[in-house]
Amino acid sequence: MTEHVVVVRAAAPPEARRRTHGWLALLRPWAFPFVLLGLYEAYARRAAALGSEALAPPSAALKALATAAADGSLWQATGFTLGTAAIGLLLGAVLGVSLGIALGLSRRAARLSLLSIEVLRPVPSVALIPLAMLMFGFGVRMELAIVAFATFWPMLILVQSAVQQVEPRLLEVSRVLGLSARQRAWKIVLPAVVPRLFVALRLGVAVALVVAVTVEIAANPNGMGYAMMIAQQSFDPALMLGWLGWIGGVGFVINAAMLRLQRAVARRMGAAP
Amino acid sequence: MDGTGFLRFDDVSICLGGREILSPTSFEVARGEFVCIVGPSGCGKTTLLRAASGLVKASAGAILRSGKPVAEPSREVAFVFQDYGRALLPWRSVAGNVSLALEAAGIVTADRPPRIDDVLGKVGLAKHAHKFPAQLSGGMQQRAQIARCLAQKPELMMMDEPFGALDALTRQGLQDELSRLVRDDGLTVLFVTHDLEEAIYLGDRVIALQANPGPGRPSLARMIDVRIERPRDQLTTKEHPEFLRLRRELFAFIEQGHD
Amino acid sequence: MNERLGDWLGSVGVLAALVAMWWVASSAGWVSRVFLPTPQATLASLAEGLNLGGGGNGELLSFTLATVSRMLLGWLLASLFGVLLGAAIGVSPGVRAWVQPTLEFIRPLPASALLPLAISIFGLNPAMVLFVVAFGAMWPVLLATVHGFAAVEPRLSEVARCLQMPRAAFVWKIGLPNAMPDILAGMRLSMTISLIVAVVGEMIASQSGLGQAILLAARAFRASELFAGIVLLGLIGFTSNALLSIAEKKLLRWQQP
Repeated sequence: MTEHVVVVRAAAPPEARRRTHGWLALLRPWAFPFVLLGLYEAYARRAAALGSEALAPPSAALKALATAAADGSLWQATGFTLGTAAIGLLLGAVLGVSLGIALGLSRRAARLSLLSIEVLRPVPSVALIPLAMLMFGFGVRMELAIVAFATFWPMLILVQSAVQQVEPRLLEVSRVLGLSARQRAWKIVLPAVVPRLFVALRLGVAVALVVAVTVEIAANPNGMGYAMMIAQQSFDPALMLGWLGWIGGVGFVINAAMLRLQRAVARRMGAAP
Repeated sequence: MDGTGFLRFDDVSICLGGREILSPTSFEVARGEFVCIVGPSGCGKTTLLRAASGLVKASAGAILRSGKPVAEPSREVAFVFQDYGRALLPWRSVAGNVSLALEAAGIVTADRPPRIDDVLGKVGLAKHAHKFPAQLSGGMQQRAQIARCLAQKPELMMMDEPFGALDALTRQGLQDELSRLVRDDGLTVLFVTHDLEEAIYLGDRVIALQANPGPGRPSLARMIDVRIERPRDQLTTKEHPEFLRLRRELFAFIEQGHD
Repeated sequence: MNERLGDWLGSVGVLAALVAMWWVASSAGWVSRVFLPTPQATLASLAEGLNLGGGGNGELLSFTLATVSRMLLGWLLASLFGVLLGAAIGVSPGVRAWVQPTLEFIRPLPASALLPLAISIFGLNPAMVLFVVAFGAMWPVLLATVHGFAAVEPRLSEVARCLQMPRAAFVWKIGLPNAMPDILAGMRLSMTISLIVAVVGEMIASQSGLGQAILLAARAFRASELFAGIVLLGLIGFTSNALLSIAEKKLLRWQQP
């Protein structure tokens, strides 16, 4: 057992002010939701005491989540959703980025394909759920097909515009310096596109998660969305709310991580974060 | 100085971010005077202007307008910003932007159009009244901002490097337009610029500030009167011996500050 | 001019080529007709469902109207509350500081994830679906409005101070128009979400509409009806987006140089 020596320093007034500011900045984001959850906890406890099948207090939801974590169902469902979303995103991104680069490099091709893209893009991905069900049954393939469709379009559009918007001055510089087409692609176009590529990727991740959960809620008997539906249908409001909070938390953490990644890449590549 | 100046600075010092930007400074501006303030970057000339209009509070000393302390911005003091593009409402036409000043003053809708037309005529934008800022050149946008300031019917006009972002030819044209406007309306102007020639050309008096004030090195370093008759001309005035003398004096002074 | 015409014809040609590929793939049986009906079968289902030639059952038309009205009503409610709440929050930096982190947590949540909760509270009925549509679609508008009001050009705030504009006038004459581009973009995103949640809601709550129609068509292996429904949903998405873009351009005319 180590001994901790606590050193207490008398802080000069400006430092103390800064330290309080540090505390305030750290705690402030939690104050509002804490108050809301507290009020809801009180309300839901009364409702549960009266036999409500719809509402459960957050404390019960946490307990239900902990149970699910202990018996492995939490990890299994989360793993399914995240894994399927990832594979679907990979597929959609590979196709979208390739086509995006091709259309970005050739203005002619972009103009010719514009009509087809504008006709196919507005189809909501959820409209394809019954079709995917028909073709693949239930399971991984059906969900990743829809995630791939949903992520293909934003990746295509964003990458195409990123390639089209490479600073024309830099392309002129490459001509003046006499760079070959390959050198130009590798030294100028690709690095110029990378920051916006990561912006597109961040958006793609967000879309992939949302679509995956939506497919599970609508049809697919696997994953986090389905677990939440089952909890509701078994009149287990605590578990249902637990899943809702878990889905929100997972989404938030992943999106925040992607934002950090995107900003780090932008900083490294000298682009505006 | 008899202490009855229209705008008076009494030992005004301004600290920002823990640093003293302006050491205690005192001077007066009489009604109808055109005072130019010059100095290198960081000498506090913009800060001085903003304090005089109430956008920034002085850390010490008092700024008095007609004997009353300046605490908040007031419609009597018009402020022309350097970044004119950001000071105009992009969703309103030129006429609409001018109208904003009248709306703020509570002028009735029916009374607005003649006043808008009058002021747009003065700055030469009558034909562009219905255009949006995005459709105007830099010089026209700055004129639109000046028009809005004139619509306030101000006692005092603060101008923060208003022509700094414009090309030389536009700048010269606007300098002459401004001089004419100021003379016609009898305005009192405080004009900040980094361009020495512009300051001497436009001003009745030039105040030179220096950066990094300290003990024995006050912010207010020089105050010179420009005794060149008006109306002034871009060609002949700039060859006037008095102009050249003042120019050399100010130049030497600014160079000193730049070691 | 000739190049523009050539491009336009070319893009029509590309689309026609895709349709031709579809026709070949389906007719020749490369992809089973259970999954991929022929274009003409799809067209026939459309005609019958929309009662275009008279004599059809017109079911698709009523389903389409049901879905569209759900989507539009939910979107209008979402926009109204999103703008009002967003303005209230966005106008005050104090409120923003306390509330914004919570908003950022809700942002990535899928709107459809609220359906189970809404079902247990309201039961399986049209009002429940409408509630989730409106609630889910509110967030893009709300977040965009908050951002629009928060990001007022500081120079304009100073101009307002110099003109001694009262707070209410500032919010109405400067805050709101300044937020307009953000609000309109948020409303466009909101419309997309409304459509999605309306369809998913119909699917799981068995409410009459295109969502339920295509689900039932798939279960009954009626591929041409399924595709007809998908085409209609794509059309709804396209039209709503196009109309909103036109409205946006009209309202934001001042952005064009």
